[in-house]
Amino acid sequence: QQLERSEPAGASPPPPTVPSVMPKHEFSVDMTCEGCSNAVTRVLNKLGGVQFDIDLPNKKVCIDSEHSVDALLETLKKTGKTVTYVGPK
Amino acid sequence: MDPNMSASCVNISVEGMTCSSCVWTIEQQIGKLNGVHHIQVSLEEKNATIIYDPKLQTPETLQEAIDDMGFDAILRNPHPIP
Repeated sequence: QQLERSEPAGASPPPPTVPSVMPKHEFSVDMTCEGCSNAVTRVLNKLGGVQFDIDLPNKKVCIDSEHSVDALLETLKKTGKTVTYVGPK
Repeated sequence: MDPNMSASCVNISVEGMTCSSCVWTIEQQIGKLNGVHHIQVSLEEKNATIIYDPKLQTPETLQEAIDDMGFDAILRNPHPIP
């Protein structure tokens, strides 16, 4: 006798969403010195809910956040620097 | 001086500027605000002197604008032009 098992044929379950993994976004910010990167740090900390890495020599800011790209762009632009969205990482 | 034009002067301490690029950015950003007639930022003295229209701006709004850019802005006693 075979055990009856109800297995849906072909239908794979949707991948589980892991809340701890936040989208990563890379931005190019025209920073020239410590002061510039500190300013970026401050505005991002003010926004809250972000984890980020600033790469001053390459003028890159990598942000880990649930905020939308637009919200992050707006925040970065507050510093008065030229900001462009590079893409997800 | 034109009696219709009102102008006040405020001096705001700005911490966190390290190079002329920071100075330039602040001058550009604050200088384009409504009611700001003139802004002079000094890197050596770590402050910003702003001549503004008190009908459109207050020392507090100007300080907030600089703070918003990511610099530590501390308001000193506003002193009107003698």
